[in-house]
Amino acid sequence: MDLAFTPEEQAFREEIRAWVHASLPADIAHKVHNALRLSRDDLQRWAKILGKKGWLGHGWPQEFGGPGWNAVQKHLFEEECALAGAPRVVPFGPVMVAPVIMAFGNAEQQQRFLPGIASGEVWWSQGYSEPGAGSDLASVKCKAERQGDKFIVNGQKTWTTLGQYGEWIFCLVRTGTEGKPQAGISFLLIDMKSPGVTVRPIKLLDGECEVNEVWFDNVEVPANNLIGEENKGWTYAKHLLSHERTNIADVNRTKRELERLKRIAKAENVYDDLRFRDEIAKLEVDVVALEMLVLRVLSAEKSGRNSLDIAGLLKIRGSEIQQRYSELMMLAAGPFSLPLIHEAMEAGWQGDFPGAALGDAPLASTYFNMRKTTIYGGSNEVQRNIVSQVVLG
Amino acid sequence: MDFDFTDEQEQLRDATRKWVDKGYTFERRRGITEAGGFSREAYGQLADLGLAGLYIPEAQGGLGMGPVEGMVVMEELGRGMVLEPLAQTLIAGGVLSGYAPAAMQDAWLSKIASGERLVVLAYQERAARYKFEKCEAKATLTHDGWTLVATKSIVPAGDQADAFIVPALVSGKMALFLVERTSAGVTTQGYGTQDGARAAEVMLDHAPASLITQDGLGALEHAVDIGIAASCAEAVGVMDKTLAITVEYMNTRKQFGVAISSFQALRHRVADMKMQLELARSMSYYASLKLNAPAEERRRALARAKYQLGVSMRFVGQQAVQLHGGIAVTDEYIVSHYFRKLTQLEMTFGDTLHHLSEVSARMQDTAGVFA
Repeated sequence: MDLAFTPEEQAFREEIRAWVHASLPADIAHKVHNALRLSRDDLQRWAKILGKKGWLGHGWPQEFGGPGWNAVQKHLFEEECALAGAPRVVPFGPVMVAPVIMAFGNAEQQQRFLPGIASGEVWWSQGYSEPGAGSDLASVKCKAERQGDKFIVNGQKTWTTLGQYGEWIFCLVRTGTEGKPQAGISFLLIDMKSPGVTVRPIKLLDGECEVNEVWFDNVEVPANNLIGEENKGWTYAKHLLSHERTNIADVNRTKRELERLKRIAKAENVYDDLRFRDEIAKLEVDVVALEMLVLRVLSAEKSGRNSLDIAGLLKIRGSEIQQRYSELMMLAAGPFSLPLIHEAMEAGWQGDFPGAALGDAPLASTYFNMRKTTIYGGSNEVQRNIVSQVVLG
Repeated sequence: MDFDFTDEQEQLRDATRKWVDKGYTFERRRGITEAGGFSREAYGQLADLGLAGLYIPEAQGGLGMGPVEGMVVMEELGRGMVLEPLAQTLIAGGVLSGYAPAAMQDAWLSKIASGERLVVLAYQERAARYKFEKCEAKATLTHDGWTLVATKSIVPAGDQADAFIVPALVSGKMALFLVERTSAGVTTQGYGTQDGARAAEVMLDHAPASLITQDGLGALEHAVDIGIAASCAEAVGVMDKTLAITVEYMNTRKQFGVAISSFQALRHRVADMKMQLELARSMSYYASLKLNAPAEERRRALARAKYQLGVSMRFVGQQAVQLHGGIAVTDEYIVSHYFRKLTQLEMTFGDTLHHLSEVSARMQDTAGVFA
């Protein structure tokens, strides 16, 4: 047992750190460090920088052009990116759909789709949730009917994150009604420029449009956009979820945000208020414990011994902590987190309200935004069902 | 970065577990509690396994092992709620081999390793609570050597131990001493504790003492940190077993015609218990892996660990009782004993609020395991 990373891992970290330092545009890092609004261009600029280096698909195996890093190296890469203030990679292409295409797509599909994902050129969205299929994802209704060499898609997806920028979308669609709900689902790739696709942004409680409704009205999709076999999509979707593992805890970004919380608390003169400071101290322990949990999983993956089936715990804890730091940031600013000034989300805004002096985005907005974390990705109550299934049978 | 145990560590775990399962049954434990809460015979069996010498160098008859081995052993003792205070022996081994003069090491270490002598830490005072830097005990150098005047509280197996490690002030500065229980001027008043074990008030009235080190505060902080790491590991073992027993009960106990494990309200409590157990296990690893770090880093880490363990222990203990229902508040049923053990461990070497204030006071601008 050893807490320290090996000299080789340390050297790897240094290499990543130097590269990120040299490659991450300062204006983007500034926005991330202060929770300011990131544009499509900001996100894609960074994606393309990573893509050019071959690191956008940093979890990919070498045969598909990935660097072939192990679990620890991936973690170190993500940590250095997060601490430097890199935006989170929009995961739908490189992290979510790409592994499914690699595992279940045919050679033609791999050649057609993977290069655009690896380079960051093509923006992908996720078409999973529907108005009637949230936690109960297997009840999707969006229908795809086979007509010769194409599918005709009708229905609606929702909560499509950043779907307003999407060029392609991977969808779970209903192709069969026989047997269990899971049995009639297929995994279909759809060009969002196809006639009949409509994207409508949903304004959220922080005033931002982070998610969308996507409507399909007799959309024609070539049959060769079907991944794997018809009605086997649920299996592929589960494979996708298994690729989340440790990054679902998001502990690296949380460490960065805890440091930011301390800066905010000092600037707002509550850091020396023992009642407030103790709340930060509790969070500090929560973050260390979460990081230790993540490191245990990584160690088990690295050695192949003592495998740990605790993805549900990582999701629950990681999301609760994200909510807590955003809550404490808001409480640190107190009433000064309340002015609702959308322009203050932009970098360089020179307006005149107390919070502006810190260069921070309005802190209540982040708090409101973070309520999503215990709902998405399988709500925390669904996660508790999963955890209790492992423990109790 | 590696959290696998070596084959030797797994063997140590197996050997300890085997003894606990076969040699330290709940019936035997109950008998020991009824007879006062400490068994020299059982302690001797721990020593026969080599466990009393874990932190004692091989040259002195010990195993010369480190914190991870200590953690492995304490987890297993926790699973069986072993009453004999091996954590105290780990402290004595660590402190004497790290700080005591060579002659004292020669006189004591091999006897501690063999189990012939039990040495415990007598540091708590009524007015100081967990703040051990507050100390009223006083040491005086006479022409016959050092003598101590002190009252130390809740000393584990205090009326059974052979000697005490005692902090006392010398001209306002803390030093650490060794005091033998049978010396003139030493009186003890023993009693059972909530967890079924034994402790005592130890009164020293000009009792003769041997100096361990003038760096008393540094050595005492180290001693307590060894104790914290051991308690964290012990607590993980207790919680592991508590959860396992609760799960078994829930899958057996029927109400409304079905096993109570089928009720979602109860299942979610179990998920939360599992969460607290794994957070606790993670922080127990962290505590043991930081035990040999430089003092400031070590103290910060151990406070973080004990805070987490305290939160987890209280949660797991209370939920186990609630999930069992009435049976868990009887003395006859084993879970009430696990619950009492967890409660006692929370208040051993500093409770949760105490360690929260330690974490808070030691907070830095950075965050995370490596900060």
